[in-house]
Amino acid sequence: MTILLELKKATKDFRGVPAIKDVDFTLEYGEIHAILGENGAGKSTLTKILAGVYQLSAGELLFDGKPALLASPADALRQGIAMVFQETNLVPAMTVAQNIYLGDEKLFNRLRGLYIQAQRFLLSLNFYVDPMALVSSLGAGKKQMVEIARAVHHKARLMIFDEPTATLTPEEKFHFFNLIRRLKRDGISIIFISHALEEALELSDRITVLRDGKVAASDLTSNFDRDRIIQAMVGRSLSGELYGAEAKNRVPRGYGEKVLSIQNLSMGTVVRNTSFSVFAGQITGLFGLVGSGRTETMKIVSGVLKRDFFHGGTIRFYEKQVRYRTPRPAVIDGIVYVTEDRKVEGFFETMSISENIQLGTLAIGVNPFSVVSLAEARQLAKQWTDRLAIKAIDPDAKVIELSGGNQQKVVIAKSAVQKPKMIIFDEPTRGVDVGSIVEIHRFINELANTGIAVIVISSYLPEILALSDRILVARQGRIVEEMDSRTATEQRIMYAAVH
Amino acid sequence: MSRIRLTQEGVVLLLAVVMCVVFSVALPNFLTTGNIVALVRSVSILGILGLGMGLVVIARGIDLTMIATMVVSVSWVLSLTTNAGMGLFPALLLGLALVVVIGLVNGILIAYATIPAIFTTLAMGLVVYGIGRGWLFQVDVQNTPEGSALFEFLGRATIFGVPMLIVAFLALAGVVWAALRWTRFGRFVYAMGDNPAASRIAGLPVRPMIVAQHVITGLIAFVAGLIMAATSSGMSTRVFNSTMIYDVLLVVVLGGIGLSGGRGGVRNILVGTLLVGVLLNGMTIMDVPYIEQNLIKAIILLCAIIVDSIINPRDEQTAQQEQGDI
Repeated sequence: MTILLELKKATKDFRGVPAIKDVDFTLEYGEIHAILGENGAGKSTLTKILAGVYQLSAGELLFDGKPALLASPADALRQGIAMVFQETNLVPAMTVAQNIYLGDEKLFNRLRGLYIQAQRFLLSLNFYVDPMALVSSLGAGKKQMVEIARAVHHKARLMIFDEPTATLTPEEKFHFFNLIRRLKRDGISIIFISHALEEALELSDRITVLRDGKVAASDLTSNFDRDRIIQAMVGRSLSGELYGAEAKNRVPRGYGEKVLSIQNLSMGTVVRNTSFSVFAGQITGLFGLVGSGRTETMKIVSGVLKRDFFHGGTIRFYEKQVRYRTPRPAVIDGIVYVTEDRKVEGFFETMSISENIQLGTLAIGVNPFSVVSLAEARQLAKQWTDRLAIKAIDPDAKVIELSGGNQQKVVIAKSAVQKPKMIIFDEPTRGVDVGSIVEIHRFINELANTGIAVIVISSYLPEILALSDRILVARQGRIVEEMDSRTATEQRIMYAAVH
Repeated sequence: MSRIRLTQEGVVLLLAVVMCVVFSVALPNFLTTGNIVALVRSVSILGILGLGMGLVVIARGIDLTMIATMVVSVSWVLSLTTNAGMGLFPALLLGLALVVVIGLVNGILIAYATIPAIFTTLAMGLVVYGIGRGWLFQVDVQNTPEGSALFEFLGRATIFGVPMLIVAFLALAGVVWAALRWTRFGRFVYAMGDNPAASRIAGLPVRPMIVAQHVITGLIAFVAGLIMAATSSGMSTRVFNSTMIYDVLLVVVLGGIGLSGGRGGVRNILVGTLLVGVLLNGMTIMDVPYIEQNLIKAIILLCAIIVDSIINPRDEQTAQQEQGDI
């Protein structure tokens, strides 16, 4: 018996809409299994079922050959399944050791004993993490180590990773891969979700590709190559079609008026003495790894960040020195920030598409007693659903009921109606399906063509290369390099971004 | 989600009707004219206060100062006219100014000093009462001035047989309804309750809005206080020590305005007012002792909050899980 876990005809639906349907899935002892698929293909749902977050609507789950009921993540952990989520589940204000043994404390919890125990344990795993360090002071890679240590401590026999490398630097990634291989040697089975096909090909023993909630392909990794995976993911081969073509045959736009000029801007350790300019009528791509301060810099400019640690520097917008403490004056002056996290700070979930978009226009008005026109809302909604190809069965549908791509389009429309002079897109296509990516990119190009200064922050290199006329690279809180899009390559940008 | 909330509202309405019928059959005194007037009077004051409370709760805030504002501002006005011999009009202006100041202090502390609304308004209620009782008036009960046209009008006048008090409640409900539904201000209230972070980034004047809401609840409390004084020929400071603020919350939550914000409207307040009014009145006729009445109300409030937090979870993360991100 070599099979650790098996799903038979597994189905999970949310309010009658199936997220996965009739999925058969097997996982062997000591196997590294990659789950790939587009956004919305059902990867997260599948892994969350295995981790006990969701329960199956229909079908069977066998663990160790026996039918298993995973009532909650804690229950799954007791039975030996641990999930490491995209956002880490550690308590930042506690030390590494406290986090590892969280929930396992004795009645009299002696910290010194805990640290010694944790030190031994971490060394046995070859993790070089200080058990007395606060988790909040660790980098993304080390945090992941702590999470893994916690899973090992709970004697997990199956570890599930959701996008484990998304927040890691290349060096941390290398260590992470070694770690995964070491866990495999110890007989632990691994499932990981990834968007990076190369990682899956390099690391895994077996690959399962999901498409529209069903298994599109499942085979040994040695039988896969990049093209076959992509074909299985989208049902057709479009390798290079999405980003490559438009990037190659494009002449970069010229420089318009200087819109934004930043000098020696500093904030704590996140933004360090950075200086750069942005020009009208072109797209400025801003690339940086996590921790490069790219988002924070733009949030300072647009007044979104509560600037508790402002350490000086000047921001000039159309030659006028500005320092926005809230987004409102920035929005009224024409600086609009489109957030990377639409669920938390993007859209209004109880409101319809038209109400969401109309709030954009209402927000820049002055008179609080002016009457809201429903005709105007309808007209706005119609105009923007056409322009951005927002797909909704019902125009009065609440935004929360739309797909990620359509939600993002609503958030973009809400900002575009505010007549910006400079618009900042932070990860405009994160969690967005392929079709919507094309439409969002088309719209961003349209905006730049009308003479607006456009900034696109992205950690996805093909997106930066496809959209930008000019590329800025951030590293450790500072813009370190500026490139012409004609001469920029993924390698050159990455070389500038890592340290 | 909307289906569940509709039924919640419907259930409350149904419950009120059923209780009405049961009380009319079981209690001989329930359907008398005198009792209906008493019911409507107590309900209208609660309803008016509920309109103000509902407004802040939709915007994800809360205002526990309302009763103190009502008691102190109106007592001061009455004390100035009857004891200090001031004219009614300047006294009303002073009362109005006091109310606005209380609202401003509340709003500024919440919006700019970012102190949680529940603690700010709780403490401010005590401060306001303390200042009022200590310096603004000396006796517990202030009577309305003899033969004052205003109080005479508010207390006794009727329009087509409907007491002024109910007319005022319905008129105010209409104003709040229109403001919430048709004005930019109303949209902002819902937006802030739905998603404060998104409101801020979209450029809404979030902090001035918070201040404005608390000034408005103060004004509504002032109006409610004047009507209360008119109908009972005076204002007693004991009202502050009663459980009235919880009755107001009961109206809002029972009516189906989620404490998580962004949901509900004037209709919910009307329904909640009706149910609470019938409940309180029925218990009074049945001669349920005051302490037991409070216990029953408390249990209902607790149940309503539990149901509310299940239907409208505040935590965005859990709300998403309900929805199931694929």
